[in-house]
Amino acid sequence: MALSKGKLTVFIIIICVIIVWAVYLFQMLFAKNIDPVLARSKGSPKAGLQIVEFIDFQCPACAGGSILLRNYFKQYPDQIHLQIKYFPLVRMHTHALKSTYYSECAGRQGKFWEFHDLLMDRQQEWSPLLNGEGVFNDIAGRIKLNLDALKACVASDDTRTVVFDEKAQGESLGIKSTPTYFINGKMLVGTKSLTEEIDAYFSKKSN
Amino acid sequence: MRIMIGVVFIVSAGEKLISPYQNFLYVIQGYQMFPSWGEIAVARIFPWIELITGVFLALGLWVEASLKTAAVIFCVFITVVGQAILRKLPLEHCGCFGQLIVLPLRTVILLDSALFLITVLLIRKLARSACFSLDNCFASS
Repeated sequence: MALSKGKLTVFIIIICVIIVWAVYLFQMLFAKNIDPVLARSKGSPKAGLQIVEFIDFQCPACAGGSILLRNYFKQYPDQIHLQIKYFPLVRMHTHALKSTYYSECAGRQGKFWEFHDLLMDRQQEWSPLLNGEGVFNDIAGRIKLNLDALKACVASDDTRTVVFDEKAQGESLGIKSTPTYFINGKMLVGTKSLTEEIDAYFSKKSN
Repeated sequence: MRIMIGVVFIVSAGEKLISPYQNFLYVIQGYQMFPSWGEIAVARIFPWIELITGVFLALGLWVEASLKTAAVIFCVFITVVGQAILRKLPLEHCGCFGQLIVLPLRTVILLDSALFLITVLLIRKLARSACFSLDNCFASS
């Protein structure tokens, strides 16, 4: 055979690398920009640490991340800006969509963060239920949302469109799991990477 | 069977390689086995080993070495998933195929064990494993 086995091996490896990189770059060509969402942001927009979080409200790591971020906000109140984007993992979590719709609709009544914090704090209570809407409505009542408007909003196509558009945006960025964070544009998945990155940022800043 | 195992590796590696490496890093972090630098190294390097092994198995190039590598990879999977089950780590799924196929840990350990046994059998019956392989083309030329 004209081609030696060693040369064929190298050729195949090079072809594999080229194919993988071509597919990866092709996907990145279609990556969408992250649009700002004012209703779901907190902290100073001029803060040095800009965080965008893609969240699934039923994911346990997201609940852990929410507590972590609240502690960082207490520690560095003017230095962090956080935005939330929706990324419900529908195949994994039965309440992923409903909890997202409720959060979006709480945001439309100006109470996204109150709803978000209680939803995350009570995740272990509603997550194993067959229907989580009882707990979602209870949270809505506690933060004095207009329940009729909330119900109409949860059922509306507009809410669904917002949620699925954001999920598509996340998918175009290569997101597969939650919580996925973009810290000053750098992608990180999970709370371990989040903690390492924020701690590194503030220790670098203090030196 | 050799080609099937190769395809399993290619699909698994492809899913990891065409998305940002941070997704697979998150999966590795969940198993709590390595320091941070080790997790990053594994997330960057391991999918390439899986891909090359899969391609070689499917094409039948360096069949014996590829089958032995596959057996080692299955042993690693069984160890990593097994320790996660024993330590009762809060993992919702194995993360082996990204989000493409979501499998619980106990299913994965059974699947990996079966594939490991098949691979060992293929190593023992190497002549039959090398059917439809590029190795045969080189041997006959």
